[in-house]
Amino acid sequence: MEKRTSYGRTILAYVVLIILAFLCLFFFYILIINATRNHAQIQQGFSFLPGKSFWVNLHNVMNDANIPVMSGIKNSLIVSGAAAILATYFSSLTAYGLYAYDFKLKRPAFIFIMLILVMPTQVSALGFVRLVTGMGMINTLWPLFLPSIAAPAVFYFMYSYMQSTLPLDLVEAARIDGSSEFRTFNRIVLPIMKPAIAVQAIFTFVTTWNNFFVPALIISDNSKKTMPILIAALRSADFMKFDMGKVYMIILIAILPIIIVYLILSRYIIAGVTLGGVKE
Amino acid sequence: MAGITFKNVVKTYDNGVTVIPDLNMEIKDKEFVVLVGPSGCGKSTTLRMIAGLEGISSGDLYIGDTRMNAVAPKDRDIAMVFQNYALYPHMTVYKNMAFALTLKKVPKDEIDRKVHEAAEILGLEEYLDRKPKALSGGQRQRVALGRAMVRNPSVFLLDEPLSNLDAKLRTEMRSQISKLHKQLETTFVYVTHDQTEAMTMGDRICVMKDGIIQQFDTPQKLYNEPCNLFVAGFIGSPQMNFADAVVEKTDQGYELVFGETRVPTQREELAPYVGRTVVLGIRPEHLRAGEEYIRGGNTLTAEVDLSEMMGSETYLYLNYAGSRFIAKLPGTVIAPAGSKVTLALDVDRIHVFDKETEKSILN
Amino acid sequence: MKRLGKRDEISYAKWGYIFILPFFIAFFIFQLIPMISTFYYSFFEYYRSGLTIIGPNPVGLENYQALFQSDFPKYMGNTVIMWLLGFIPQIIISLVLAAWFTDVRLRIHGKQFFKAVIYMPNLIMASAFAMLFFALFSPNGPVNAFLVSSGISAEPFRFLTSVWGARGLVGLMNFLMWFGNTTILLMAAVMGISPALFEAAELDGCSSTQTFFKITLPMIRPILVYVLITSMIGGLQMFDVPQILTNGKGTPDRTTETVIMFLNNHLYSKNFGMAGAISVILFIICAILCLVVYFVLNPEDEKAQRRRKRGKELKKKQAARAGAAEGRA
Repeated sequence: MEKRTSYGRTILAYVVLIILAFLCLFFFYILIINATRNHAQIQQGFSFLPGKSFWVNLHNVMNDANIPVMSGIKNSLIVSGAAAILATYFSSLTAYGLYAYDFKLKRPAFIFIMLILVMPTQVSALGFVRLVTGMGMINTLWPLFLPSIAAPAVFYFMYSYMQSTLPLDLVEAARIDGSSEFRTFNRIVLPIMKPAIAVQAIFTFVTTWNNFFVPALIISDNSKKTMPILIAALRSADFMKFDMGKVYMIILIAILPIIIVYLILSRYIIAGVTLGGVKE
Repeated sequence: MAGITFKNVVKTYDNGVTVIPDLNMEIKDKEFVVLVGPSGCGKSTTLRMIAGLEGISSGDLYIGDTRMNAVAPKDRDIAMVFQNYALYPHMTVYKNMAFALTLKKVPKDEIDRKVHEAAEILGLEEYLDRKPKALSGGQRQRVALGRAMVRNPSVFLLDEPLSNLDAKLRTEMRSQISKLHKQLETTFVYVTHDQTEAMTMGDRICVMKDGIIQQFDTPQKLYNEPCNLFVAGFIGSPQMNFADAVVEKTDQGYELVFGETRVPTQREELAPYVGRTVVLGIRPEHLRAGEEYIRGGNTLTAEVDLSEMMGSETYLYLNYAGSRFIAKLPGTVIAPAGSKVTLALDVDRIHVFDKETEKSILN
Repeated sequence: MKRLGKRDEISYAKWGYIFILPFFIAFFIFQLIPMISTFYYSFFEYYRSGLTIIGPNPVGLENYQALFQSDFPKYMGNTVIMWLLGFIPQIIISLVLAAWFTDVRLRIHGKQFFKAVIYMPNLIMASAFAMLFFALFSPNGPVNAFLVSSGISAEPFRFLTSVWGARGLVGLMNFLMWFGNTTILLMAAVMGISPALFEAAELDGCSSTQTFFKITLPMIRPILVYVLITSMIGGLQMFDVPQILTNGKGTPDRTTETVIMFLNNHLYSKNFGMAGAISVILFIICAILCLVVYFVLNPEDEKAQRRRKRGKELKKKQAARAGAAEGRA
């Protein structure tokens, strides 16, 4: 009896899981298929089989002067890479400062960061744009990654990780061995934090890569645009006149790097979600 | 060369808690000193002040002739072994041991020579390329010792280095550390909460409680002449038996009366206590069962609560005159629970303490 | 001999300050100062009219008054509705999946695969995802082609001109993007429950459903609150998806216009006074939600610390006992 009900529930579980997996994958499947078909084929209707226009579409996208995809990718890579490095390094540094040292403002500093942990950046967007304009950094990539130095969510992840994996004895042993405090951080603490840094670097990279709101306010120059702004530009253009093969191809290019990284590292990324438990 | 001197040292934490109220202590060069006491007694703090990991609120700390209060740990010519070894997990055994020397910019071949020297003494040569994760507890412990050794420090600090090892390994490492001390001829300061470790390893033992030194003496002295109730109870296993006794004056001298037992003594120190209650202490091994002892008198007859056979000896747990007694008898003694036994007190080995001040009256 | 600091005592406190300094400098420059100036402008009449900039003239709370007389409450409602459209299925499906994945009686194979697949949409660029949906669900897109050819609908369904079609699409996308993430979080929470508890429940004769409602749900309540609150904050920030899907117009008839889209419009039209007022209201809501997150995360923190302390003491006691035993031996 017990066995039979479990059997039924197992089947139900599989059915639901397969439907959900289908939902998640199917859109990407259409995307990939349509990126290989030309405009006329796409207009005729949907097909499960890929077309032969992949290279044509790619070529068309690369040579469209209005949508500088190459520089978009380059800008996105610069901004996301720099943000990932800054966020992980300085969040680790901050977490270490609050974890390994005792000082008067330690507790207030910690509480402060915890309080702004999930505060959205949108609430200060107005001031941010004005400040960036005042600093002469409007229409540059700097304001897109410099604020990553203060990343409360990454900090919280690093702090939790240190609590579970970094015994303070290690720091003291290094102190006695004659290591300076900065050296201890760079040579002893960072290597131990490597798994956490890797996970958070990926998350920060992805978040920044996908970020749309702030870059759209800061960047207006075509050559400085990141991928999400290019996609938005695509939408604002007169859509009906567009070569749909090209549209799908650009979307594919925008998400492909992330998908590839994810396919390689999904196990670690998923483990990372639960480690930090912090949602952007 | 490198004795350690504490002069009126006070340690108060930022939150206002004073853990060391006023510490005066002198550790001689090349001495093996054990700091022992229950957890929270300030022994670790004392060690960490020597290391420079903990600031000194007031007073002076000297290592050799140099005042060390404001000297960084690395400039104190010390090395430290931590309770959980504190090995750098991402470095090999070799790199762990070489790290301090690398930072000091010691030439490569000299580092190599020193690391191999230490590894040989500790039997670690075949593990030099491994990471700490791939080592057993005992091996990690030896790497921690090796890391300290390569630096040739004038003071060796050890913070409960054996408490994470199992009992058998602990005995082994105990003798290895003692051997190391003789070999290296440097000052060792060793912190433990385990009185057995203290007794077997220390040249001198410093018993601490609440940040105050209770007694700082050789193991023999601590065992034979504990200066107060705390030290008497802390040193020795099983613990010393204590019972309230009344001092009475007799023709020959004095008698300590508890239950039916009257313990005669001629010690004049008891004169001020006549008619008053004191605490009588007797170690479990100084309660004897043999006929030859009982014939001499000073006996107590009590009911056995529980007897524990240890093989080479037997522990009897007794109730007598409202106090619990433990007797440690050689060999196997058959004494089932509920049976009565008669034991003789070794009169020469009794301890007497003032009930208020808890200080020893006889020593 | 090198001296540390001017004091006659070794102290490492200054390093703590040095190490946390970059974070706080960056925070003050890029978040706090902007936030203060944002709040400041919310009390001014300050906007662009044609080519002339009007203000800044202090107007007190007039911007807030104007805000509540505008369509702001409607946009707030849109945001909440679209958030709920995504969140309700998200939390239900996630709970069910988390229960299934952790149920030992169900032997689901390929868990790692399913987890990887359902988490993937979370990493996809929201704007690209929205663009993809726009293309797929457009009148001559593949979805409508399928609807027509299979006879479900006689003519293409115009998703983006129907109120619930457009909102539904936004909800669906939010659901797809977040249910995998939530499932993984909840799974971790369920697996954090001591297995002995489930075994005891089984011995007590609990069915799977009873175990879920009587044991699992109460035990994972803190993480559920955390998911709820962070999702609310995420929902308030909803922008990329409706912005791209409707080309920033909130069509049809501004029923998909969110608060942040509204803010965005004011930022583009350089109405700084109104933008400031929207930001302040957002800030107040988020600050309350942040406080809740703080209290959800921190009691656990303290509990964990206590647990660790107790563990350490226990270890010491055990070691002491072992030592005593050895002394006896």
